[in-house]
Amino acid sequence: MTVSDTRTEFKLKSPPEDGISSVKFGPNSSQFLLVSSWDNSVTLYDIHANTVRMKYSHERPELPACFQDAVHSFSGGLDKTLKMFDFNSNTETIVGSHDQAIRCIEYSPEVNSILTGSWDSTVKMWDPRTNRLVGNYSQPDKVYTMSLCGEKLVVGTAFRKVFVWDLRNMGYIQQRRESSLKYQTRCIRCFPNKQGYVLSSIEGRVAVEYLDTGAEMQKKKYAFKCHRIKEDGIEKIYPVNAISFHQGYNTFATAGSDGYVNIWDSFNKKRLCQFHRYNTSISSICFSQDGTALAIACSYMYEEETPRDPLPENNVFIRYVTDQETKPK
Amino acid sequence: MGRKKKKLSKPWCWYCNREFEDEKILIQHQKAKHFKCHICHKKLYTGPGLSIHCMQVHKEAIDKVPNSLSTRSNIEIEIYGMEGIPPEDLKEHEKMKQGKQAGGGGSGGANAANNRAQSPSSGEDEPPPKKKTQDTMMTNPPPGMPPAGMMPQGMMPPHPPYVPPMGPPMMGPGMGPMPSHFMAPGMPPMMGPGGPMGPMPGAPSQQNKPLFPSAAAIATSTTSSAAVGADFKPITSSASIGPVKPTFPAYSGAAAAAGSTPGASSSSASSNSDPPKVNLINTVGASSKIIHPQEDISLEEFRARLPKYHVPEPAPAPAAEATPTAAATPVTTPTPTPTPAPNPTVAVSVAAPVTSTPQPMPAAPERRPMMARFPMALPMSMGQMSQMNQMSQMGQMGQMMPGPPTMLPGPPMMRPALPLHHPAMIGGNMGMMRPPHMGIHPGLLGMPPGAAMGMHHPYAAGPPMFPGPPMITPMMHPRFR
Repeated sequence: MTVSDTRTEFKLKSPPEDGISSVKFGPNSSQFLLVSSWDNSVTLYDIHANTVRMKYSHERPELPACFQDAVHSFSGGLDKTLKMFDFNSNTETIVGSHDQAIRCIEYSPEVNSILTGSWDSTVKMWDPRTNRLVGNYSQPDKVYTMSLCGEKLVVGTAFRKVFVWDLRNMGYIQQRRESSLKYQTRCIRCFPNKQGYVLSSIEGRVAVEYLDTGAEMQKKKYAFKCHRIKEDGIEKIYPVNAISFHQGYNTFATAGSDGYVNIWDSFNKKRLCQFHRYNTSISSICFSQDGTALAIACSYMYEEETPRDPLPENNVFIRYVTDQETKPK
Repeated sequence: MGRKKKKLSKPWCWYCNREFEDEKILIQHQKAKHFKCHICHKKLYTGPGLSIHCMQVHKEAIDKVPNSLSTRSNIEIEIYGMEGIPPEDLKEHEKMKQGKQAGGGGSGGANAANNRAQSPSSGEDEPPPKKKTQDTMMTNPPPGMPPAGMMPQGMMPPHPPYVPPMGPPMMGPGMGPMPSHFMAPGMPPMMGPGGPMGPMPGAPSQQNKPLFPSAAAIATSTTSSAAVGADFKPITSSASIGPVKPTFPAYSGAAAAAGSTPGASSSSASSNSDPPKVNLINTVGASSKIIHPQEDISLEEFRARLPKYHVPEPAPAPAAEATPTAAATPVTTPTPTPTPAPNPTVAVSVAAPVTSTPQPMPAAPERRPMMARFPMALPMSMGQMSQMNQMSQMGQMGQMMPGPPTMLPGPPMMRPALPLHHPAMIGGNMGMMRPPHMGIHPGLLGMPPGAAMGMHHPYAAGPPMFPGPPMITPMMHPRFR
């Protein structure tokens, strides 16, 4: 149990200078957090000491980053280049590139590969041992998000397409789906129990979907509204920018441009809790592997017609969560 | 022995082992000491009740019952007075009492007194962790915390509103005669002919291919306004007639052709004149608004187009793609004012003619392409220019306007997203390009366009504003017709 005396939340010191595009916890501990930003940087924070451990840059704004293991990270962004960084030797290696910006990066321990999704409508697979391109798989449109479900890779693209691939045999597309939501797909994350995934759209809505295509299973899928605020008689509907699963409980958190984080119990169809409102949009969230901490990246995302002036500052909050907030009742 | 029996029957508080004469008083004690919210001092009835209250009202997690023994602090056990105490604890307590009676007599009383003395100081106003856990209390508190699962569920206060499944589940296959807007949730809204790709097994909404294609088309167009189900619009009712009389070529045509035309306001001429390539997100109706740029691209792509992130590279691909967008996307997204400065590209591209006047300069290049695109906006901005009484800038503008866009290769096409320093420009641009969106928000209608855009420009209040309203009137048209 965590000591609840150190109250549940704190801010990281020296946050990135520009928008934060992603936050990711390390694979084994809740001590290290990888933060990528529009200021071109990738930063490794030690959240126990609240210090910057390591930092390197890309030439253009950096979109996603991910850990391969505790000491290697992969990152890419608008510079279309995939970089590998070794925290031990403090060296970076250019692994390869896409034709357009790299939007998402995942590491699959199952097949020991790095997967990159790009606006050039492809997903590429890389071998982290040799840093070689293993395969190039075309997707229906620009890749906006992807997530791993064991050996399955779920790719969400522009125009609401969802492709499901099997990493063991990338020769064919296992499922071609369409989002059950009417609006642009924002984020997809798979259940840790590998049964399905959660998909969010720009229109304050989240869908719970199952990979099993049997009628029984498909009956269980549903969607719900969230991240909406009624002000002056007008309901403002915000994009749901990020989803992160609690690895132990199969509950998940969603974060929206409304500045709220909600935690949901998808089996009982209940909201477990909602945190206080953050000062601006939340662009990315990530549960630590052990589910005790949630990293919350707050930065303005230019959703509004008139950008805020001055722009809200960018911050990463670390919030320690309790079972009460994350465990199904 | 008979006396002891009496003692045993006294109600006691599970959280602090204190005994009471009467269960009523015990309940009062529990509400005041253990179930009181430390933030708003509301007295709840049970531990779980308190925890849910704190979570929902104050968004704070409470993991322990305030002022409780360390082993009895489980907030998930539902105890009310003597009800709900785990049986083993009851036995334990009984045993202890007997032991006490046999042994040290008054120690129980002393403890109780101890408790009483300390709890007030430890403060009902303090956060729970403050409570003294170890106390001088009973040396052997009952072992074995009851498992959390014991907590009865029944008495939990209602959870916050939770929206049940929207689309598919609502749709029984046999719901034929239902108004067609019920079909909407599953319909692909803005997918053109590309349509659904794979099988969506078990998704009835996808599967029930419309019996009446025209109705489907209407549904598609209607949903855009009824999507959130805020209220059913008149359109919907006419749509419901659709299946019976599929004789609304206008509707189906519009829906099919415009595909992504927001709302059912197909009469908005300007949106029809948009380059077809731009996909806009559907609007959701008058009472709600999606906080997202109008073009159907991701926020990251949108952001990547901001001049701030441009590098001086000959990137023809994004430029080509952006061209139509620049026109239709409202560009309403003027970047924050600081942008010109950190944007070396612009500076470089126009650096030659004017290096001396950094302030107005960045504005000039971005205006030019827009004018080129919208000649109608030109006179207005010219008027505006003269208002500014900046002859030198005038000169520059004049110089630049005729200049072919080729002067700035690629990137300039995307420039319109740059800060628009001119309210009038915006008004004009808005009027030309996005009536449906603007028209929809009643809150914005009354305001001059500059104000609506939240532009705090010195000229916003001045006469240059008045070109706005006339431009707005056509916007209102579809709505108040």
